Formats: sequence, C-alpha cells, structure tokens
Amino acid sequence: MSTNKTFHTKPRIFDGVNALFLLLVATVVIVKPTDAQLLDLKFNAMLAALYFAIGFGLSWLISSKGTFTWGDQIFKPLHLKNPNAASWYKTLWGWQALIVLISTLVVGLIMTKFSIYELTNPDGIDGALRLFGGIFNPDWSILPRAVNNIIETIFMAFMATVLAIPFAFVLSFLSARNVMKSPMGYAVYMFLRTFFNVVRSIEALIWAIIFSVWVGIGPFAGMLALMVHSIASLAKQYSEMVESVSDGPIEGIQSTGANQLQVVWFAIVPQIILPYISFTIYRWDINVRMATIIGLVGGGGIGTLLIQYQGQAMWPQVGCIVVVIAVVVWILDQASAHIREALK
Amino acid sequence: MSETILSVKNLIKTYDNGTKALKGISFDVKRGEFLVVIGLSGSGKSTLLRCMNRLHDPTSGEILFNGTDVAKIKGRAVLNIRKKIGMIFQQFNLIPRYSVLMNVLTGRLGGMSSFKSLFGLFTAEDKAQALQYLKLVGIHEKAYLRADQLSGGQQQRVAIARALTQRPDVLLADEPVASLDPATCHVVMDYLKKVNQELGITVVCNLHFLSLVRQYATRVIALKAGEVVFEGSPEDITDEWFQKIYGEGAKEVHVH
Repeated sequence: MSTNKTFHTKPRIFDGVNALFLLLVATVVIVKPTDAQLLDLKFNAMLAALYFAIGFGLSWLISSKGTFTWGDQIFKPLHLKNPNAASWYKTLWGWQALIVLISTLVVGLIMTKFSIYELTNPDGIDGALRLFGGIFNPDWSILPRAVNNIIETIFMAFMATVLAIPFAFVLSFLSARNVMKSPMGYAVYMFLRTFFNVVRSIEALIWAIIFSVWVGIGPFAGMLALMVHSIASLAKQYSEMVESVSDGPIEGIQSTGANQLQVVWFAIVPQIILPYISFTIYRWDINVRMATIIGLVGGGGIGTLLIQYQGQAMWPQVGCIVVVIAVVVWILDQASAHIREALK
Repeated sequence: MSETILSVKNLIKTYDNGTKALKGISFDVKRGEFLVVIGLSGSGKSTLLRCMNRLHDPTSGEILFNGTDVAKIKGRAVLNIRKKIGMIFQQFNLIPRYSVLMNVLTGRLGGMSSFKSLFGLFTAEDKAQALQYLKLVGIHEKAYLRADQLSGGQQQRVAIARALTQRPDVLLADEPVASLDPATCHVVMDYLKKVNQELGITVVCNLHFLSLVRQYATRVIALKAGEVVFEGSPEDITDEWFQKIYGEGAKEVHVH
C-alpha cells in the first residue's frame, strides 16, 4: 500500500466503533457494574470515547503496516485491495469480523431477554392458543360495524392522499435542483429537502398523537396525520422525478420564447405525469395500511375498533376485524399494482 | 443579401467550470442567407448558437439583432428575442407524449398569456397555421400521432414546423442532421433550404459534413477552439483549409 499514502477516515472510524463495542462488552463482563454505574452516562461516555480512541489509533497503526482491518476491507476503494488475497480465516480482518459479529449476536440475545423457556412455557402457550382460537373463529356478528369502520379508514387514507397532492405537486418543483438553479433557489431547495426529511422521519403515529390533541380524537386527526406524512413523502418522490427529466424538451420549449411557468407545464409535466399518478396510487395504498395503525392511537376508523376489542381480550371479534383488514389491504394492493403496471 | 440581420462582435463565453468555449468571435449574418458553421466537436459551434438566442448567457461581447444587443438584455426581453429566433436541435427536443400538432402549437407559447397556455387554449388561427406549416414540411397527415411514434427525420421536420409557428426572422439549427441516416439527412436539409428560400427566413446552421456544406450553404464560417478560422463561400474551402479546420490527416467524408 506504499503507493497510496492518503489517510482514510472511514475505515478508522469503523474499527474505532468495533473496538468501542468489544471493549465495553469486556468491561461489563469483567467489572459486572451495578445499576447506578450503568446509569452514570457521563463516565460511561468518557470510557466509550477512550475505547474508541484506542481502536482508532490501533487501526491506524495496523493499517499503516500494510495489514488490512475490517474497516479497510469494507471502505477502501477496490483498486487498493489485494487481488490475490488470502482466505478470510488467514486474515486479521476476517477474525475481527467474526469476533464482532458473534459477540453482537450474544449481546443481542441477552439484551432482548431471549428465552427458550418462556417460548415453550405451557401457560404462555395456552394463552396464545386461546387467542389464536378466537381469531380463527371470527365473530361475524360485528362484521357490519367492521365494514363501516374500514370504509371510514379507506376514506381517511383517500382524503389524506388527495389533499396532499396539490401541496406535494407545487413543493416538488421548488425542491428539484434542475428547477431551482439560482442561489436563492438553492437555499429554498436545501430548506425544503431538510424539512421533508424531518417530517418524514417523524412517524405518522406521532403526528396522529399531535393532531388528536389539536383537533380531538377521531378520523379527522388521523387524516391530518396521514396528510402531513404524505405531503413530505410525495414531494420527495415527485421532486426526484422532476430531477430525472431529460433536458431536451426543456430546451426545445425554452427556444420558443416560453416563460418559466410554460416551460414547466409543457416540457416537464408531460414527462412526469404518469410516474406521479403511479406514486400517488401507491401512496394511497400505503395510507390505508398506515390508517389502520393510526386508529390504534385514536385516529378513528378500523384501528380504533380493533384496539377496543383487543383491550377487552375479545379475540373472536378481533379475528373478524383482522379478516376485514386483510381482505381490504389485499384488494387495494392488487388494484394499485395492476393500475401502476398499466400506467408504465 | 447585403443587409446585416445579426452581428456578433467579440463574443466570449467562459463556462463556470473554466472552459473557454468562445474566445472573441466576430461575424455578420446577412438577411436571407444560409450560413453554415463548421468545426470539430468542441470547437464552440453549439455554444455559439445557444448564445445567439440566450439559452446560454455570453460572458462578454455583443450580439446585435434588429438594433438590440441580445447579449445584454434580461427577463421578458430575452423571451421576446427567442420568439424571433427559432431553433431546432440535434435531438429534435419534441415533447414525446404530445401529438405532432400539439408540439407544433407550442411554437405559439411565446405570444400567449400563462393562463391561456395552462389550459391549452390555442386559437383556431393558431391551429390552422400549425397545420399549414406541417404541410410545408410534408408531414400534415401525421398531425394527430404522438410525436414519439415518428422516425427521426419526421421528428426533425415537426421541430422545423414548431420553429416556423414562432414566425421567426432567423432559424438556428444545431447539428440538425447529425443523428439521422444519410438519406433522411438530405430530406431535412432540403426542407431547411425551402424554408430559407420560400419564406425568406435566415438560417444559421451547424454542420459536420463538408459535402452538405457545399450543397446547401451560401456562406460558411469555420470555428476552431473557440475562434473563427475561416469565413467565405463554400467553394473556397480547399483541401488546405480543410486540413487547417479539422487538423492534419483529416479525411473528408461524403454524404450522398
């Protein structure tokens, strides 16, 4: 590796995190800390930083001697890798990877309190069988109510999608790089992209909680939650479509003396309209599934009904609702897949 | 043939990445002529045409058109100039999903309000004229087909009709036949000649093939590395000049 003296940061960070993890695990195993010690965030963070620094430095040292660490193996550009490398078990990085993966698995089993005993506990199994027994013998007497509620859910999803379209449509041009070329435009682009990412990273479930405080529990809150999430998701997908349009028609329309709005309408919109429709139908499909979950926190529709019966352990009724949800989701899934296929 | 319609003076274009595409170009375009610009790929031909209708902004210099300095204007004035200077492209640049007629009608956008154009409210007169120009380029029976169902040569004729509906004084043609086969090549060039001679529209055309230049041009300028290295009539391009323009050892390719 003497031909390339460039210092690569990513492999060092990766190995640093490896060391941080392994050394912390070792510390816990050896010291057996008390609860109070585990909760001392400041001291533990300092310890972690120290371990990270050790790993970072060690990785640097090893790598500078020409030996590959796991980090190097992952992040180094292909042309720097040795084409006739030894089998993995004869290398440092191979053992590093093996040790890290195995210890992660062991820690994971302990953390999630994985227990074959609980899984095979007869009392527990009895309970589960009772539940399944109920669900697989649905109580069809509540079917009319379930149907009414799922219609509410479908419309929640539909309205959320429809109301999101105009917002997402306009925002998609404002958050497309090829439209927002000026420095001012770039600022708007950056702001909107960041804003969408933040909004999307907040789950629709959280939005539903926010809106149920704002406008009260019910389908309106659920619809608003889905709408906010849909605007951010659709705007991002739409704007990626806008960015992938070909420049030829844009130049063609510009050369006729058309203004910016006319260029968007005649050169960009015809190129993106079908993928737009396709994305929108898929979003509706997603919204129906999400609307079911949102009902669980008081967003109205079938989810609200489901949580009521589940709370009272009325499993046959839950079974009926699950069947209704499954049928509707399946039908919409099929329908949207066929429509999207036809639009290609 | 004596009146100057476009006058380019000391035109310089340097791209943001530092590429010097045009290094001070000067020439005149006479009203009614068929001026051909030749030169290697990367010699600045396309940049030159795109500066003349402000698809690109020149770095400095003048482009006088009907008494206006095209290089200096801004905003609406740019759109008005583009309307008077039509353009056709190597890749035709039609809207693939729209009908041929609709594509030709977009040539009217320059004179329309945004509101009317959003709803596609083209007048009957606009449509009649669009069909008339489609007839001129011999493709009116395809008016209601989708543009992407047409062959390359046919698409380029639609593009000519689109430019004509702008009722331009000048038509810029950027390598109009470079992506067509030799036979179709001549069809499209013949229509450009027709537009030039029958409608009296001045044509400025970038071309690769010297044989086409000799057949269609009334005057030629040659660019090399962003500078004008030849200006004269097509007959004056001797083998010696050809070597100068295209480099030592270059051989002429004939399109029949």
